[in-house]
Amino acid sequence: MHVLVVEDEAGLAAELVHFLKQEHYKCDWACNGEDASERIAVNRYDFILLDLGLPDYDGLDLLQEARETDYEPAVIILTARGELEDRVKGLGLGADDYLPKPFSLLELKARMQAVSRRKFNVKSSVHEFHGFELDSTARTVSYNGQNISLTKKEFDLLHYMLLHKNRILTRLQLTEHIWGNILEDDYDSNYIDVHIKNLRKKLSAHAPTDWIETVRGVGYRLTL
Amino acid sequence: MRLQSKLTLFSAISKIVVVLLLIAILPPLIHRVAILNTDKRLNEKKDNVLEIISEQGIENFIAEGDEGAYGSYNLLKEEFISMEQIAEPVAIDTVENSLRKVDEEIVEYRVLSLTFEVDGKYYLLEIGRSIDTILESIDTMQKYALYFLAAVILLTVFIDLAFSKILLQPLLVIVKRLKRIGHPSTFTPKTINTTTSDFLYLNNAINDMMGQIQDAFLKEKEFIGNVSHELLTPISILQTRTENLLTDPEVPEHLLVKLVDNQKTLHRLKSIIQALLLISRIENEQYLKNEEVSLTILANEVAEEIADRAEVKDIKLNVKLEDDWTLPQANYSLLFTMLFNVVSNAIKYNKPNGSITISGAPKGKGYELCVTDTGVGIAEEHIPNIFNRFKRLHGPDNESHGLGLPIVQTVARFHNIKLTVNSTVDVGTTFCFKFSKS
Repeated sequence: MHVLVVEDEAGLAAELVHFLKQEHYKCDWACNGEDASERIAVNRYDFILLDLGLPDYDGLDLLQEARETDYEPAVIILTARGELEDRVKGLGLGADDYLPKPFSLLELKARMQAVSRRKFNVKSSVHEFHGFELDSTARTVSYNGQNISLTKKEFDLLHYMLLHKNRILTRLQLTEHIWGNILEDDYDSNYIDVHIKNLRKKLSAHAPTDWIETVRGVGYRLTL
Repeated sequence: MRLQSKLTLFSAISKIVVVLLLIAILPPLIHRVAILNTDKRLNEKKDNVLEIISEQGIENFIAEGDEGAYGSYNLLKEEFISMEQIAEPVAIDTVENSLRKVDEEIVEYRVLSLTFEVDGKYYLLEIGRSIDTILESIDTMQKYALYFLAAVILLTVFIDLAFSKILLQPLLVIVKRLKRIGHPSTFTPKTINTTTSDFLYLNNAINDMMGQIQDAFLKEKEFIGNVSHELLTPISILQTRTENLLTDPEVPEHLLVKLVDNQKTLHRLKSIIQALLLISRIENEQYLKNEEVSLTILANEVAEEIADRAEVKDIKLNVKLEDDWTLPQANYSLLFTMLFNVVSNAIKYNKPNGSITISGAPKGKGYELCVTDTGVGIAEEHIPNIFNRFKRLHGPDNESHGLGLPIVQTVARFHNIKLTVNSTVDVGTTFCFKFSKS
């Protein structure tokens, strides 16, 4: 997948590009609107990660330009200006998703995958691991055809860990993913531990779950 | 009551008072006028009689050798004239009421009495007019005076009503425009068609004030936008950098733990900024209230979302809502955050094996939704400060940024929900949201 990162903050862009490259995306960076406009006109991008607050350009104009190309790149708006009108306008102009800053890179990857499935019509939504099967469309988990009943949060947790397999996920990242944008006073990492404990219990009834690793003091890792 | 109604009412009442006063004063006044008129007429008649006597002599009235008396009543005994000779030269010139017996009937007359001398003889002249006749004319006069007054009052009240309506029309236009303002940003300054300088002044003052409010809102919105951008961008950089470092295989394990600590601090900073921005945005009216929200659905969805947390702490979560209550114009996600924060606090500050009840029931003309816990409670002296975003109270965990309840209060205010808290230390806390019929 070819991704264009439109971001004027060099520090953030560098982290984004680094992450995406690690995730095997082919990645370009445009640091201003003019540069981005040229790149959109010349290249075929699958994804455009668009920062709305550009110094020389209105991000929404770039969105319009992207929409007018004959290939239709998926656009995810990244902005620190979380105003309602911007969001409504962005989605109204055809953006595929909207991620307010500051966002987690893992959340961005999850959203990109969801958009890909929807937009590029990815048929296969079934992940296989250690004899288990997770169908992200039907939201089911099974072992040898036998259905395993998981709660919504347990499913989300397993799916997220599967999406970021072999990577250490901190309790905070997991918390942010399963409780989304609910703005709370604080977060309690114990809840994640309890969910992981329940998940292990339910899965280990079918097969060993030593592939769910606990990284002491940090979080969890799903090794495949 | 509307100004126009008040003015009309005042004018009608003042006129009625004037009429009542007139009704009270009118009878004695008219009576006095009638008596004065009668006296004047009697005096004119007296002058006529005296003139006739001086021209034609008294013989026309009293023949020589007569008994010395003359009397004449008109047919209906309304008036009489009498003249008689008197022995003593007594000087009388009076007009007064007196009773006379005529044909076996006592009639009260207004009588002019005068003594005069003709050819060395003294005479007493009396001219009378029946009081009944006078009273009759008084009644007629009063009746017509009252009709006239009533007509005048009705006419003037209608004229007042019409005039005040025309006069106050610009004020009604101003009031209508003010009523239509849902938010200062929707206000458009308009001129008003009137020659009344007070209304022109009022309209201009409102236009100017709304302009200033709009500017202030706009500046605040711009400020919030800038703060968002300026603060959240560096946090974004730090967050993404930390995440990338966490996956770097070259980072030793003991540093990973420090990175996680950094991530937690960053998360706290992010939450504080986001909470403050949320409060500012709500206060700056940047959220829409365009959804119908059922409180039953809301309470159940909050309970469902948070159920596992309650379960982890062995806390029983009950939802008991009597009747459904729907808010016609609300913002679901803000209300969700509001209720979620209260229930989340109820879990956080509960006791092991405690319980939380989300109950709802119609109360008065509205509906009351309460969250009751069996928790540690809040000391009475702390209750006034729990919604204060600048006064941080440390919870048992010392981790919270203390903005959860200010958010609750801001969302409640935004939706005109009355929020009350009752708490007893070591017994529990109840947060109640009172929804009134809009």
